Parts: sequence; C-alpha cells; structure tokens
Amino acid sequence: MPNLKSELTDEEIAQIVQKGESESFGLLVERYQAKITRYARKFLSNYHEIEDLVQDVFIKAYTNIQSFDTSRKFSPWLYRIAHNEFINAIKKKAKESLSLFDLDSLFPHLISKEKAEDEINEREIRQMIDKCLNYLDFKYREPLILRYFEELDYKEIADILHIPVSTVGIRLKRGKKKMKFFCKKYHE
Amino acid sequence: MNKELKKLSLSEKVIDKVNSGQVKMKPKTYFVLKTSLFFLITFFVSLSIIFFISFIIFSLRTSGIWFLPSFGFKGIGIFLISLPWILILTAIVLIIVLEIFVKKFSFSYRRPILYSVLAIIAFVVIGGFAIASTQMHPGLFLKAQQEKLPVAGGFYRGFGNTEHSQIHKGTISNMIDDGFYLKTFNEEILTIIINPKTKLPFKEKVKVDDQVLILGKRINNQVDALGIHMIKNMPYKPMHRNR
Repeated sequence: MPNLKSELTDEEIAQIVQKGESESFGLLVERYQAKITRYARKFLSNYHEIEDLVQDVFIKAYTNIQSFDTSRKFSPWLYRIAHNEFINAIKKKAKESLSLFDLDSLFPHLISKEKAEDEINEREIRQMIDKCLNYLDFKYREPLILRYFEELDYKEIADILHIPVSTVGIRLKRGKKKMKFFCKKYHE
Repeated sequence: MNKELKKLSLSEKVIDKVNSGQVKMKPKTYFVLKTSLFFLITFFVSLSIIFFISFIIFSLRTSGIWFLPSFGFKGIGIFLISLPWILILTAIVLIIVLEIFVKKFSFSYRRPILYSVLAIIAFVVIGGFAIASTQMHPGLFLKAQQEKLPVAGGFYRGFGNTEHSQIHKGTISNMIDDGFYLKTFNEEILTIIINPKTKLPFKEKVKVDDQVLILGKRINNQVDALGIHMIKNMPYKPMHRNR
C-alpha cells in the first residue's frame, strides 16, 4: 500500500505536524535533507560540522513549526532557518568577516533580472559556482546558491535573506561577474 | 543505498530526539504572545516618536524659535543653534529602533531601506503635526506648571518653554516714531526700535494690540529689532511659571 502522506504537499505535512503528529516531520526531513546539506556544503565550504549544522536546522524547524504559516510556502521558511543557523556558525567561528551593513539594501535599484538563460548557460554558471564560489564574499555566494542550485525565485531569496528583491538581482549580477573574473584568473 | 541509509538516519535522529523529549515543539501561544509583544512594542515606539515630534513642534512654537527662519540667514542661524537637539536626537534614535522593528515585516524588507525610512519619517511627522495641532501639549504644559502632572511634569517644565535671550514675545501697547512699546508676557515693557534693516511682516503694518514676536538683542529695556513676526493665531497660550 503506498504511503498516502508522501502525496501531500510540504505545507500539508507541516500542518499535520502542527496538530501533534510529530512522526510526520520525518517526511519533511527526508524531502529537504539533501537540499539543505547541499546549501550548507556550498555556503560553508570550509566547515567540517556540516552534518551537525543540518541536524540543528531541522531541530530548530521542528521546535518552531507552530510559527509557520501554512498558507505560505514551506521551503523559504526552512531555508530562512538554515540561513540563520549558517550565519550564526560563521559568527561563532569568525573565520570570515560578515558585513553588518550593506549599501545595496539601502537605495532602490532597477530589478536586473537575468535574461531567459538557456540550459547551457545555466549549466556553465553551475560549473563556475562549483569551482569558484569560494572566492566570493558570503553576500554574493548565498544568492547564487539559492538561485542556481536550489532554483528559488527572487522573491523567495529575498524572503530567506531578508533583503530587497532588487538587491537579490544586483547581488546575482555582481556575483556572476566576480565569479567569472576569478574563474578566469585562477582556473584558465 | 548508502545515501538512502544516510538520509533515513538524519530523519530518524531528529524523530528520536523528538520522541525522547530532548527536542520539544514550542506551543502556538508562545508565538502568538511573541508576535503580540512585538506589535505592542512597535506601536508604543511609534507613539513615542509622534509624541516627541509633536512636543518639539509645541516647544518651538511656544518659545518662538519656530518663526525665526522667516527672518533670513541670521534667523536660520539662531534657529539651528536653538533647536532642542536632545529631543531631536531622541526622536532619531527611536526612528532607527522603529526601522529595525519594521524590517522584520516582509512588506518592509522586500523594499530598499530608504523607502521604509522615508515612509516612517512621513508617518511620524504627519502624526506629530496632527498631535501638535491639538490642545494636548498646552493642556499638559499648564498642568505641569500647576504641579499637577506627576510623571512628565519635570519634562514639560524643562523643555516646554525654553526662553531665548534674543526672542521677545508680547502685545504692542503704544506706537512711537521709530518703533513701539511691547508689553511682554512677563508684564515687562520693552522699547522696540525699527530700523531700515528690520525684517517686517509681509504686506502688513503692525499696530496697537497686535501680538508679535521680535528678534533682537536686548540692552536694558530696549531692543533693536532684526525682525518682527506677527502672531495672528497664537499657537500657544502665554504661560508663565508660577514661581
């Protein structure tokens, strides 16, 4: 007999967990474990405690699941928790500097959405991210991962990072430009 | 297969921690209370800023500093020096606090900080002017003078009616050749001298019984007026400390 719960959406499962059926939370962990681990590995490439961090993300998600509004999408909510956990990990280790204030978020920008990129272009960008992401600042790294690996849209990325939608566009554009520069410099 | 096992193991680890009671779900009421507290603080911070801004407007009008920019560069200079900077800085700090609170909402963080800061400033300034146009501050100020305002009394007495040595307010009692006599709100009679450089009220001539504000240095009981401003609808009631 097929597991009926596996047919449910993330939001429906979250609602079931909120009603007290804790076991169903395992389904959400299974669905997002690979994604969150990939996000962590790419974002925190110099860190060794990735598995513990990912586990902490899910534990925090379970603890706070009653704050999740089931009329909204589950994935940005979970990625937001992951983002906070990873930022806290960086601050704890203080391996790399995090800028507290960002001028990009202060002033309005035209939303510079990418032109419809074909698959080849996207594949190229993913390959570049694999090779050269570490050369970039955190503020450029995260939007690139969320856009090209987690395939989230601008609004979802804005919700995860708590930055303006136009800033997401700016960071993606600048991030790609910088990444191309570093790839050319160190890998060609 | 290995990957599958690994996947299950994390899910199992989390569920084990849940079942063993090591990890507990926070109740809905916790988040409802947290959100309510957050809204309440945001509301009170907004009210405080509106209060401060309206009080600044009230205090500037009461002292007469509000009208100084109409006397040109000299007036603007004295205006800037005489502003209640402590109150203004307090309002700015509270605006920053409010911006931090508002940035938690998606309608705010999805847009540039400049937009939310401008929206907050517009909101509190409009609110401040609206409150300043009511009788709230004059009423509280009067109570403070009568020692009937227990908590904010000192604040109103301290900031509410700051006197400026070059500003003189009162009613014209007599016209003389080169000026007029001014009966101040402190019941003093000052001789106001008008010279060609005096900035006079636009299109209007001052006359007996007009309420006016004079900018100028006082030497004994005489003031060489740098500027005269008519106060048609007195925005404040002349009040004196009962000392």
